[in-house]
Amino acid sequence: MRKKSTIFVAAVTLVMLLAGCGAAENRQAEAGKPGQELVYATVKDINDMNPHLYPGSMPAQGMVYESLVENTADGIQPLLAESWEISPDGTVYTFHLRQGVTFHDGEAFNAEAVKQNIDAVQHNSAKHTWIRLSSKIKGTKVTGEHTFKLILSEPYYPALLELSMTRPYVFLSPKDFQNGETKDGVKGYHGTGPYRLTEHLTDQSAVFEANAKYWNGTPFISKITVKVLPTGETTFLALQKGEVNFVFTDDRGTDSIDTEAMDRLAESGAYQVVRSEPMNTKMIVANSGKADSPVQDKAVREAVWHAIDRDTIASQIFSGKETPAGTLFSSNVNYADIGLKPRAYDLQKAERLLEEAGWTRSGEETRMKEGKPLTMTLFYDAASLSQKTEAELIQNTVKGIGMKLELLGEDSSSIASRRAAGDYDLLFNQTWGLAYDPQSTVSAFTSETAYYHAIKGISRAEQLKDEIEEVMVTTDEEKRKALYADILTTVHEEAIFIPLTNGNLTVVAPGNLQGIGFKQTQFELPFERMSFK
Amino acid sequence: MTIHRKMWSDKLTAISLTVIAMVAFLGICAPWFAPHSPEQVHMELRYASPSWQYLLGNDHLGRCVLSRLIYGIRPSVLWVLAALLVSLSFGGILGILAGYFRGKTDQMIMRVCDIMLSFPGYVMSLAVVGILGPGIQNILIAFVIMKWAWFARVIRTSVMQFAEADYVRFAKAIGVGNAVIIWKHILPVALPDIAVISSSAFGTMILQISGLSFLGLGIQAPHAEWGMMLNEARGVMFSRPELMLAPGLAIVIVVSAVNFCSDALQAALDPKLQKNTRKPLRGQGLFPAKPKGEEVA
Amino acid sequence: MNGYIIKRTLLAAPLLIIISFLTFALNHLSPLNPAEVVLRAQGVPQITQALIAETEAALGMDRPFLIRYADWLASCLRLDFGDSYITGTPVWSLLGPALLNTLKLTMVSVIAILALSVGLGILCALKEGRLLDRSVRGVSFFLTSMPSAWLAAMMIWYFSVKLDWLPTSGMDSSAGYILPVTVLTVSYAGIYFRIIRSSMLSQLYEDYTLYARACGLPERKITLRMLKNSMQVAVSVFCMAVPVILGSTVVVESIFAWPGLGALTVNSILGRDFPVIQAYVLVLAASFVVFNTLSDLINAALNPRLRKEF
Repeated sequence: MRKKSTIFVAAVTLVMLLAGCGAAENRQAEAGKPGQELVYATVKDINDMNPHLYPGSMPAQGMVYESLVENTADGIQPLLAESWEISPDGTVYTFHLRQGVTFHDGEAFNAEAVKQNIDAVQHNSAKHTWIRLSSKIKGTKVTGEHTFKLILSEPYYPALLELSMTRPYVFLSPKDFQNGETKDGVKGYHGTGPYRLTEHLTDQSAVFEANAKYWNGTPFISKITVKVLPTGETTFLALQKGEVNFVFTDDRGTDSIDTEAMDRLAESGAYQVVRSEPMNTKMIVANSGKADSPVQDKAVREAVWHAIDRDTIASQIFSGKETPAGTLFSSNVNYADIGLKPRAYDLQKAERLLEEAGWTRSGEETRMKEGKPLTMTLFYDAASLSQKTEAELIQNTVKGIGMKLELLGEDSSSIASRRAAGDYDLLFNQTWGLAYDPQSTVSAFTSETAYYHAIKGISRAEQLKDEIEEVMVTTDEEKRKALYADILTTVHEEAIFIPLTNGNLTVVAPGNLQGIGFKQTQFELPFERMSFK
Repeated sequence: MTIHRKMWSDKLTAISLTVIAMVAFLGICAPWFAPHSPEQVHMELRYASPSWQYLLGNDHLGRCVLSRLIYGIRPSVLWVLAALLVSLSFGGILGILAGYFRGKTDQMIMRVCDIMLSFPGYVMSLAVVGILGPGIQNILIAFVIMKWAWFARVIRTSVMQFAEADYVRFAKAIGVGNAVIIWKHILPVALPDIAVISSSAFGTMILQISGLSFLGLGIQAPHAEWGMMLNEARGVMFSRPELMLAPGLAIVIVVSAVNFCSDALQAALDPKLQKNTRKPLRGQGLFPAKPKGEEVA
Repeated sequence: MNGYIIKRTLLAAPLLIIISFLTFALNHLSPLNPAEVVLRAQGVPQITQALIAETEAALGMDRPFLIRYADWLASCLRLDFGDSYITGTPVWSLLGPALLNTLKLTMVSVIAILALSVGLGILCALKEGRLLDRSVRGVSFFLTSMPSAWLAAMMIWYFSVKLDWLPTSGMDSSAGYILPVTVLTVSYAGIYFRIIRSSMLSQLYEDYTLYARACGLPERKITLRMLKNSMQVAVSVFCMAVPVILGSTVVVESIFAWPGLGALTVNSILGRDFPVIQAYVLVLAASFVVFNTLSDLINAALNPRLRKEF
């Protein structure tokens, strides 16, 4: 008996040990799944898909919802509005809507739906201050089944640009509204876009299926699954094994896979790596409005600027896939080619600036001024591999000039709320991309949900605010140019936005996927144009 | 017990003790042993393979992995040890008081212990880090807060056995002061028990701190810590697996050495004592004590 | 027996209350003003002192501490832990599904741990001091010394990448359980194995065993009796292990992208999402107490001697 029980116990144990080998058939890797499906990996859940609020994933919202007009490389093009007229004084926009478009729940898309959506957005205007159009809309009017009038309080030149954005001016089926509003949540997520949301498991996955009734023809790829994979190494493995077959730089610029790993995937032939043109500028935002912080001091901000070795960042951390950036906007951005003088990587200059500003040091210590140490905190997105490495590099360099940087990795939404509340010294950020630059980024300088605090501390803050106000409404092209030049020069002089590199969008896709392209915004991809060979 | 077996276990214990002593020594004298500064960045050496100059290669900032490993001993092992000692002395004092004086003191202290022990340790560490923010100090604080109750409870049980011993009664009878009795008669005999529980707690603490650092909740850049090194190697886990090897092995070696020592200590204590620790301890109060190993929580 | 159950359960109640109180108080240790955090989470652009005062009043923070605690406790009992600062959704809508996922992982792991540690514990106790015993103990020491992150990484590399047997992450299929469960089992089985082995050994030296031997009872009967007794230990180990593993899956979840409590907590810590952290601590500490009580009750049912202790 004793022997028997021993054997039994040993057998149970063995079974446990072998449990790991249960699925021992050598399954074929599922790379490039047959059929017409894409499975893309994302760091965070797609979250609340309400298009009139901001927690949701933009690439996902971009698939489901559409705007009146589209921003393309050739300028503003029709989307849900087939054509439009602008009144001579620039305050009334009349849109002729596309006919025969329906929401995913079968509701008709018409002028009434447009009005309800825009009104719902306007009723929550505190959330939308970053988009200046929200403060210019005076009225909305239905003038026919498919004609809609938008009335502004004054002429506003980027109106169409802002109407083309992924959110908030996109359209949700009025049936999904709660008590006629969207600000307190919605009942469903039915847009007019090429894909509709069919399944959502929080923090696991979401499934989007092609909208067979899409007004512009059914998309080729029948199903797009979003899989939540919070870390880069699992994403890389999942790609290798074919559990996901598509990855791209997400809407917060998070790059969880290192460039080398991506190149290795491409070498294997199963995948291709496609990079967009430079689309944005990655930067460190210095909060000039932070009370009692050394970052209020312009010399400190300039010193940080001089102490960043952009060439090394571009060549080593990004393996040459991104280029060093010398100014907030690269010169190909509208109105930004004004010949600003870049500040080179120059540690001696940085030290001299600090010394002149009264930050003195003895030996290897941290510099002090009036009993206060030169210590600041730099916040980075904990999910971004490159930001952490850049931060550590900068931390090490500035230590040499007597500046102490503390690094704190946080969740991206926490960083966004820090930015809004002004509760930071320095943080990583990026400009908003070709579709938004310069007008949206510049108007965000004064938006209280964006860079308001960063700008607040500079001497010309009030004047800058007026200039930004004016540049958006002026109809005189020359004046607009001059104002932009003035605004950009001011923030450059004050060293508020410390540029790092010009970033692009990167897509890792199956080797046989074609039609991979980019939109003007860096936040979404045109999935409806992609197909398998 | 055969001579052979004794030899075997002794040898292992000897090796383990040597390893721990050497690691501690290396950590204390890190500036003399580390070939380079642990924070010196050389971007051109990013992910360089091992060379004669950099024996274990370079990390994502081109820093010397070996130097970081050596400096990493300080937070990963020595600071943990310090936290352990603080927590142990706190728990020890309370445990001795409770076990020696019994009555109301005992009741009070044990009630508090029960409450502390009803918070799972890992959860508490996370809670403290969540409230105070990431950082190694906060984790160490959490350790001290969490572990003392466990120590107090075990030491109390051990002290209780001796407090009733004849020689203690005799000492009391002839009017020796309580402090002297505790110091001279109780503490020395309770020491082996204390050694056993603290050594087994040490191993789990090292593992926990590396786990939390791995998640990015522990020590902050640029300081070297083994869990942090694992975290840094994580992003390139599959393109540069070798970077995970050094810190991972360091943790495995130190923790197993600690565990082997703890086990040997336990075995070395006389059989009577051993039997006592083996019996599931049953507390007298509200909540029965759990068998050993609970402090892994 | 009924009396014991009532007594024991009643004793858990004050403990639960103390725990909830400490959890509530914990939040007040935070260096941030809750009103400010709420405002920031709502995306209010400019936070003024007046606005903070207003929000404090709206949140009822000007009321006495104890009253606020009572209110909070009452809503917690209805599973209303407030809204997440980050997503703005009710905490329970985040915590509930995550708890379920972690619970699934925990249950499977604890069963595996139990099977392995009971099996090996009994085996080694019976063979005390022999090669088998010594090698199993040696290996278990070594395995429990491994950081789970490291172990997980190596297992993924070997089983998922090299051999391509198992999925790398996620819980879409039952195969997805195998690796995380194995990592948890390897990390924790060693500890429980030691407990079971010791308790088996201590029974070997118990008086009744000696007595039975002296009376010439067949060895297999003695073993059987010991096995029966060790089941009691196994049950209490099981009840003990559930909340411990429940709170220790953080690293494993993070590596295997398991959408559970661990991942949620780490994100909440990085996002300073206090209501989620608070609810997490409360739920886990409460489950710890519940499982401990359960373990005592089961033990008492199995072993009448223990009931007298109260």
